Amino acid sequence: MPETVSYFLMAWTDPSLLLLTAAGTLAGIYVGALPGLSVTMATSILISFTFAWDINQALALIVGIYCGGVYGGSRTAILLNIPGAPSAVATSFDGYPLAQRGEVGQAIGLSTVMSVIGGLIGVLVLASVAPFLAEMSLQFAPRDYFLIAGLGLLLVGSLSAQSLARGIFAAALGGVIGLIGLDPVTAEPRFTLGFTNLMGGIHYVVVMIGMFGVAEALFQLHQLNAETVRQKVDRIVPSLNLVLKFLPLSIRTSIIGVIVGALPGTGGDIASLFAYDHAKRSVKNPAQPFGKGAYEGLVAPETANNAAVGGAYVPMLTLGMPGDAVTAIIIGALVIHGLNPGPMLMIQTPHIFWFTVGNLVLANLFLLIFGLTGIRIFARIVELPRAILIPTIMVLCVVGTYSLNSSMTEVYWMLGFGLVGYFMKIYGFQMGPVILGVILGPLMDKSYRQAMSSVGNDGTAFLLDLVTNPLSLILTSAVILLLLSNTPLRRVLSRRSR
Amino acid sequence: MIRILLTGLAVMVGTLGITSETLADYPERNIEGIIQWGAGGATDNVARSLTPHVEKALDTDIVLNNRPGGTGVIGMNAVMHKPANGYTLLYGAENPQLYPVLDLASYDYSDMTPINIIGQGLVVIAAPADKDWDNLGDLLDYAHQHPGELRMGSTGKGGLPDTVLAMINSVDSLDVRNVTFGGDGPGITALLGGHIDFMPLSLAGAQEQIEAGRLKPLAVVAKEPVDALPDAPPITQALPEMESYLPWGPFWAVSVHKDTPDQIVKTLSEAYRKGVANREFQQFLKNNGAEPLNLQGEEARDFLKNWQSVTAWALENAGSAKVSPEELGIPKP
Repeated sequence: MPETVSYFLMAWTDPSLLLLTAAGTLAGIYVGALPGLSVTMATSILISFTFAWDINQALALIVGIYCGGVYGGSRTAILLNIPGAPSAVATSFDGYPLAQRGEVGQAIGLSTVMSVIGGLIGVLVLASVAPFLAEMSLQFAPRDYFLIAGLGLLLVGSLSAQSLARGIFAAALGGVIGLIGLDPVTAEPRFTLGFTNLMGGIHYVVVMIGMFGVAEALFQLHQLNAETVRQKVDRIVPSLNLVLKFLPLSIRTSIIGVIVGALPGTGGDIASLFAYDHAKRSVKNPAQPFGKGAYEGLVAPETANNAAVGGAYVPMLTLGMPGDAVTAIIIGALVIHGLNPGPMLMIQTPHIFWFTVGNLVLANLFLLIFGLTGIRIFARIVELPRAILIPTIMVLCVVGTYSLNSSMTEVYWMLGFGLVGYFMKIYGFQMGPVILGVILGPLMDKSYRQAMSSVGNDGTAFLLDLVTNPLSLILTSAVILLLLSNTPLRRVLSRRSR
Repeated sequence: MIRILLTGLAVMVGTLGITSETLADYPERNIEGIIQWGAGGATDNVARSLTPHVEKALDTDIVLNNRPGGTGVIGMNAVMHKPANGYTLLYGAENPQLYPVLDLASYDYSDMTPINIIGQGLVVIAAPADKDWDNLGDLLDYAHQHPGELRMGSTGKGGLPDTVLAMINSVDSLDVRNVTFGGDGPGITALLGGHIDFMPLSLAGAQEQIEAGRLKPLAVVAKEPVDALPDAPPITQALPEMESYLPWGPFWAVSVHKDTPDQIVKTLSEAYRKGVANREFQQFLKNNGAEPLNLQGEEARDFLKNWQSVTAWALENAGSAKVSPEELGIPKP
């Protein structure tokens, strides 16, 4: 036990580790805030730099970048309606309306505190039940991922504002975009029209930057001369009452985040969308309606995506299996440093686990400090005249997309999606469902085919599996319930029972 | 007139400058290394642990970029479309040697100049520890009695598991359900959860799970037992005919554009030879169950040709090749 405590406090007491965690968190916030620069990229570049370092130093820096980066995505989502990362897409739904109402300060303040609460709940789960959660996550078979993807696609109802038909169209469009590239099973080119550059598919961040960034910038040209909203920046740190009011919701959405994050096939992007949907269903009377600047719509995704960080570490630290792309790179770093990430990691190098836990807690505290300072300057960004802001956004979109894979083709795609998104916006389509489709389409495609080939392409056996396995049965019931609750059938039934 | 002359002179000097840059002072700026697989994978790990040692030998920075996608076609395509001046390198795996046979692309490593064949990985056929079979022979017996029932983890056409299955099928019959995952990682996760029955894996990925007793090795794809897994039977125990294919395994290579000047190829080859020979890097390969090769020039070309002919014909014999190696002019092994 005293050993555990000393491992836990390693990053707190060693000045160089403390400094690296702080620097990582601060850098992470900005990496995460810029669309296109991702935590995955930042960590993979860092691995080369940290080659000669001590492994603990490398891990401390990466933990900081990871926590800061996941949080940072919310910044641009709130300020400019451009999510800095896919896991902040849901944050923009209510965050940006808040900015338009002049509440940037409050929105960033609240999202910071909530991110930290989510992050800490994630670490708590990691520290207490990691081995149990890891074993549980292994039980998810391909068919269960198929059901999760199905459950996720049903969120289109929550994301499509007024017109469900437009929402379904947008999600289907996203799904098709997600299928472009070499077929994962047969390596047959799909929708590539013979272009080699399309064989790798279209990165969903390219779609996201185009549809959110460029489309939004073009859309704002309509109000080029409109007065910018004056931002109230007097109250930034949310009151204790406000935090306590959202605490039950944030605990629920954090748990969603940590579980979805711990599943090796899903991460913070999907978790935050589920959390947003959960908030929309469970909160009956928000002060502002969802989509128009509900605080709950900000709390849910922000807690979930930060809790997913703790979740992603669960399979990595207990089994040596990555929980997402970032933990995959951390595993690579451990290998390069001569450690053996696997089920024996906790036995052979017990300090890694508690060091990481302590380090994550520390990074979350730094997040609170860095997140709550400098908000006034950020609020000014929104007050900039549009003639300056819009070109800046355009430049950021191009640079961000190019830095993704140093590919000009992707920049052209991004601009193309920007144009499509602009016209979709004009005709009342939402961008959220498109991203939902791009993320979930490939997951559904992959998991459906894995599940089908597992049962020898026997449709009956596949359907039987969905209801005979306990875990699958729970998910199947959730899909059916969600479907029924969204259809007129429910209204008919509830009227009859009354 | 004077302006035109001056412009002409400037262009000439500029061209001269470029020529002398490419020949004499190479390298005089940063080099870009394009990795054809994603971050955190085996190719990425090899590239990132090797590069610092090469940077020392070359006295310049090598900036590494991952360009994954399309079984590595995207990354290779990118390097082939860059100028042949030695400032863009490809860190690749074995996959390009199968592009023509699988009709993924018309080119392979013979359309580039190899700088170094870094090393060759070992392949182990692994199953969850709670399965009844103890070796590949048991698994084959079961599969013969229950054809088309076993679920094999795969990574898609052209991936390692599919190639190993094709090799087995060219000497025996193993009728399985092919469940495709995005890589070794997701495949191992599915093995641990019991959602698939076995999977041919690179030893580097599977070793830790085997040592922890969660997976069991049914066979290593080698003639003799290997040091890293002394208890795992060699594949020739169950399938003696496999011997003609061995030694075989996935490999990692650094290559450049085909038209790169010889002098630059020489400089790079020398730097990579030193880098791969570095003791720390050798230890890294050993820890990951890989065999260092460090081949250059003709030796590297022979290795690539031989690997391609063995693998392409195994795929053809198992009926998995889309384009016959005969048609492509790949000689029989």
